[in-house]
Formats: sequence, C-alpha cells, structure tokens
Amino acid sequence: MRFIKSIGCILLCWMFIQSGSAQDIPARPSPPMLVNDFTQTLTQDQAASLENKLVAFDDSTSTQIAVVLVPSLNGADISDFALKLGRSWGVGGKDYNNGVVLLISIADRKINISTGYGVEGALPDITAKHIIEEVIKPNFKGQDYYRGIDEGTNAIIQAVKGEYNTPRSKERGKSGAQLIMVIIIVIIILSLGSRGGGGTMMGGRSRRGFGPVFFPMGGGFGGSGGSSSGGFGGFGGGSFGGGGASGGW
Amino acid sequence: MSTSKIILIGLAAFLLIILFWGCNGYNGLIQTDQGVQKLWSNVETNYQRRTDLYSSVIKTIEGSANFEKSTLKEVLEARSKATQIKVDINDPASMEAYQKAQAGLQGSFSRLMAVVENYPDLKTTSAFRDFQTQIEGTENRINVARQDYNKAIESYNLRVKRFPNVILARLFGYAEKPYYKADEGTEKAPNIEFNIK
Repeated sequence: MRFIKSIGCILLCWMFIQSGSAQDIPARPSPPMLVNDFTQTLTQDQAASLENKLVAFDDSTSTQIAVVLVPSLNGADISDFALKLGRSWGVGGKDYNNGVVLLISIADRKINISTGYGVEGALPDITAKHIIEEVIKPNFKGQDYYRGIDEGTNAIIQAVKGEYNTPRSKERGKSGAQLIMVIIIVIIILSLGSRGGGGTMMGGRSRRGFGPVFFPMGGGFGGSGGSSSGGFGGFGGGSFGGGGASGGW
Repeated sequence: MSTSKIILIGLAAFLLIILFWGCNGYNGLIQTDQGVQKLWSNVETNYQRRTDLYSSVIKTIEGSANFEKSTLKEVLEARSKATQIKVDINDPASMEAYQKAQAGLQGSFSRLMAVVENYPDLKTTSAFRDFQTQIEGTENRINVARQDYNKAIESYNLRVKRFPNVILARLFGYAEKPYYKADEGTEKAPNIEFNIK
C-alpha cells in the first residue's frame, strides 16, 4: 500500500514539473535547433540560412546563439522567460556558459537578448540594449523580421567573436567518453547489486552516492544525439544569471 | 564458525556502514553548505553592483548645478546605511536588516529618479540612458541570484532537517538557514524608467 502511494506521489510530482515547464516555456527542440520559430514568421529558407550561420559560429567558437520566436509570453516578464528558456535548454557550453538567447514575442512586440554568465563581459547589457534599439527595432518597425534577426545576430556575433574559440568537436568527444564511463559504472553497480543482493540500505546509499554524477551530464546527453546529421550538435548545458537587455517595437 | 565470530563480523560490518554513511553525509553537508555560501556571495555581489551604479548616477546628478538637495541627501543616507550592514546568513535578524536596508536604498533611489524627471537636461543624456539599462540588468541579476539562493537554501534545509542526516547536522553544528524573503512589492524587478522619449 505504501509502495503504491509513493509511486503515485512521484508520478504526481513528475506531472506537476512537466506541466509547469510546458506552460511557461517551450520544450527543448528535438532534433536540437538554434533557430526556433514557433510563430511561422520566418520562411523556411530564411530560418535555414539563419540556422546555418549560427551553427557555423557554434562550430568555430562553441558560442551558441539561440533565436526563439514565440507567439506570446502569456503575461510573463520577457527577461524572466528568456532566462528560464536559456537555462532549461542549456544554451551555451557547460564549462564556459557562453550562450546567448535572442527571444522575440510577436504578440507582445517585445525583444530580449539574454547573455550567459560567460558572455556578460563580451556582450554587456549596454551593447545588448544597443543591438535591440539600433539594429533590430528599426527593421521590426518596418515589418522586416528576417532582416532584423539577421543583422541582430550579426551584431551579437561581432560582439562575442574572439571571446571563446574552442572548436566544437573537442567538447563533443569528451562528453562521449564520459557517457561511456558512466554506462560502465552503471553496469558494474547493477551487477554488484544483483549479485550481493545487499538489502535496502545498500540500495539507498548507492543511489544517493551516485546521483550527483548523473546530473552534470544532463546537458551533455542532448548533444550527442544529433551530432551525426552534420547540423547543430545540441545545446551544451550553459547557464544564465539575468544578464542582457530588453526592448519593444 | 562460532557465534561470537559471526557477531564480531556483523558488528564490524555495521560499524563500517555507519562510518561510510557518516562520511558521505558529512561531505554532503559541507558541499551543500558551500553551495549556499557561494550563491549568497553572488547575491551580495549583485547588490554591491547596484550600489555602485547608484553611486555613479548620484555623482552625475551632484555634478549638475541647482539640483534639489533633499532627495539626494536621503539616498546618500540610505546608501551608507546599506553598506554598513554586515550579514551573517546563519542569523535571520541580520539578514532581515540587510534586506530592509537594501529595500530602503532602492526606495529612496526611485524617489530620486522621480525628481530627475523635472530636469530634462539631465535625464536625456546618453549616460543616463546607459545607467537605466545597467540598473535594469542588475535588478534582473539580483532577482535571479535571490531565487537561486533560495533554491539552494531549500535543499540545504531539507538535508539538515531530514532523518537520518539531522543527527549529523546536529553533531557538527549545521543549523537551518533563513530564506531571502522577497521585499514587499518587489518580487518582480522594479521598473526604473526615466521616460526618455
């Protein structure tokens, strides 16, 4: 009876977490993409050309710039929304936190550039504000969304260029090796556990002991999935601290 | 094998498990505690950053002649009050005093900005616009840092209070820590607008 109860509790919690994140921010795209237009504002060609540009930049510098267009914020604060999106998708590398989110809400007519911890120096709030006001806004006022985003991302690239120059492939190889290590460890633990049959105490301890090993890997897993296609390799698990600027048009 | 031998082995195994559990639990406590400290320093850094920005704005205002001095004085007082407070995150009283002082500083600064509205020469300068952007970004960072800190406190407090870790926590003097409560009406980043058109 207690067992069923606890399972029910876990399920409920899980559903709560799921619904919470689904309501606020879009789920991480699968396969991972840097340009995510949930509003059909951009044509397929436009989105593809932006995607190519940003993937090339990610490949050469490991800095990830995610462009996200949403129909509406549903009343949320745009900087808060962008921060949560950047964190939950893990935009940017885990070690450098070098991710940038360019978020556009069509219905609210709002723009936000959020910078990861590692980009705050190269792209300070004032520069982000400047890009929004001087580069993106004039184009958006003239309904030219593609040009606004294109020139805006160019300006972001200009600012961030030279800050990090880690080729992407290196990091990917490392996360692959780590993945194999974890799998081996899991197999060893499982086989030990089943042979020894050590009671509940044993099981409880090992679960607690090894839990933290899994969590930092969360971002890395997403990455290895789409790497074979030659496109975007996946988000790296970067984090954000509220840096950036917002504006409207 | 004699019974006493079995008992001895059982006892040794039991002690070993206890030792292992103790080490694990103790290390976990230290780790979470360090995490909390780190996130708290993040909160403080961002408040410091805001205070520095305020100071820059104040300097700009002081430079302009014939500015009304009373509101300015109020901000300066609030600033010195806020910078004097030493916080100990284990002490709810000092935490509350810190929060109050920061909220007071922010309040008086907002009033100062309302007065600046009457000085068009001052508020339309590009320096002022940059300040606005920076203050906005800093307020966002403060919000994020506070939320992160509270999340860390939550998991720390759970760790300290839950059985059987509570035994270790008591043993090594790890007590529950207070949350950083949101100031009334400032759960969201305040809107500091200079109304530049």
